[in-house]
Amino acid sequence: MTLLHAQARLRDAATGELLGGAELASRVSEVAKALADLPPGVLFLRTGLDLPSVLRYLGALEAGRAVALLDAAQDRDVLDDLVERFRPAAVLGIEEEPPAGYSAEWVREDAEGVAPHPDLAVLLPTSGSTGNPKFVRLSRSALLANADAIAEVLGITADEVAPTSLPLHYSYGMSVLNSHLRVGATVLIEGSGVVARPFWDAVTQYGATSLAGVPYHYEMLRRLRFDPAKYPTLRTLTQAGGKLRTELVTEFNDKMRAVGGQMFVMYGQTEAAPRMATVPSDRLADKIGSAGPALPGGQFSIRDEDGNELAGAGVVGEVVYRGPNVMMGYAESEAELALGDETGGALITGDLGYLDEDGFLYITGRLKRIGKVFGNRVSLDDLEQIVKGFGAAAAVPAGDKVVVWLDGADKDTCKQAAKLLSETLHMHVTGFDVRQADGFPQLASGKIDYRSLEARV
Amino acid sequence: MSLNDRLRGVFVDALQLDDSVDVENLKYRDIEAWDSVGHMALVASIEDEFDVQFETEQVIDMSSFKVAVDMLRGLGAGE
Repeated sequence: MTLLHAQARLRDAATGELLGGAELASRVSEVAKALADLPPGVLFLRTGLDLPSVLRYLGALEAGRAVALLDAAQDRDVLDDLVERFRPAAVLGIEEEPPAGYSAEWVREDAEGVAPHPDLAVLLPTSGSTGNPKFVRLSRSALLANADAIAEVLGITADEVAPTSLPLHYSYGMSVLNSHLRVGATVLIEGSGVVARPFWDAVTQYGATSLAGVPYHYEMLRRLRFDPAKYPTLRTLTQAGGKLRTELVTEFNDKMRAVGGQMFVMYGQTEAAPRMATVPSDRLADKIGSAGPALPGGQFSIRDEDGNELAGAGVVGEVVYRGPNVMMGYAESEAELALGDETGGALITGDLGYLDEDGFLYITGRLKRIGKVFGNRVSLDDLEQIVKGFGAAAAVPAGDKVVVWLDGADKDTCKQAAKLLSETLHMHVTGFDVRQADGFPQLASGKIDYRSLEARV
Repeated sequence: MSLNDRLRGVFVDALQLDDSVDVENLKYRDIEAWDSVGHMALVASIEDEFDVQFETEQVIDMSSFKVAVDMLRGLGAGE
């Protein structure tokens, strides 16, 4: 069982090169061979949206080496901390000065290291973590099961051409790559993003058939007055990474239907490799606001605060997902890379929701204090910690952004706090709406009344 | 104030640039702040400041400070 189907192809928009068949297989094997000689341990791969990054990822999978995908734009001190905690065998895709204990090529000098569990294939950082980022451990079988299920529900065939509109280290971006390569389709590697000319030129020139986006991409596409009639090959839109406003779901669904295309709204978490649900395109209009039924092979249940399953349509509780794509667990240190499966295929999502009579899931809120910034999960408590130097803070989710109230702050302080959040989390500053506050509403317990703050957003 | 100065101010505000950034030679994705999200914030700020509305093609072609200057001149804005 391998990810790369014999017909799968990579198109590099930067050079126009098309890699497929035996040539692609040999390029991947070349990378795999070089990786096999490295000392034991996980591989760190700093990824950009470019051909070398994709080949390294595929090479690591072929070599059976567990690989952690990291953002190439990540701060050096965050990387250094991860290197210290996980002692990777090597760091790929980096040209900076290596830390002590690593050769000039970023290979660990100590030949002794913890061998990752044999089932472990990919590690993804949990998004938005600030203090101690940890990894989600995904097994090879979870990755493949999810790629297959996604390909099935989206109807991906070998004729599809998917552009890389999302980073590879982001679980949704990785899954677009996986689900297409798995069925022998083409992945169009283009790194400039949906607001830039080269992206749309590549879409036209290489006949891209689909586009994947998180809510902010759809806000941008609306602003760009995206017209599918201008891109005759592009007939499928997919959306995940947070709830898209229902007006936009309707708008884009109508646009696509008008040209004989389709739109899919999906739900997932990195912990599920990542997809858990997809609304069938022909049900989108009458199931607006839904995350869809569980993927083939998966199952949702709703439970109460004590962990008892709640039966019945419309009953709200915590969403639990069971399926072959659920992670093995988390890893916070090198030793934990050797751990086997700790979840038994069950993921407690931390999301609140209900199932309707047809088994379609509706997400109504979060159990944990989590917000989303441009599709990336962030811990609201972490945000408050980051800005505490400016004063007491209270953070609440606000669609695709977060609102952070700062007690007694002036306008300039708010601006500085937003900038600090942006720099610390590497997310654009407009994702952090920092506002002046004069004290916070409180519950009888003396805790901040976040619900009433949310109502003020 | 000249068009360049006004536009520089919009860039600095919208992308929260430090003094060290060479704004006039800046290109899309040169710096982390000018990513796709930053681009849309920037376009909106330029439209507000110069009271113009860019076409779709202009938004995706605005790949540098210099291109933005040329576009604004073409629209007869800020003179």
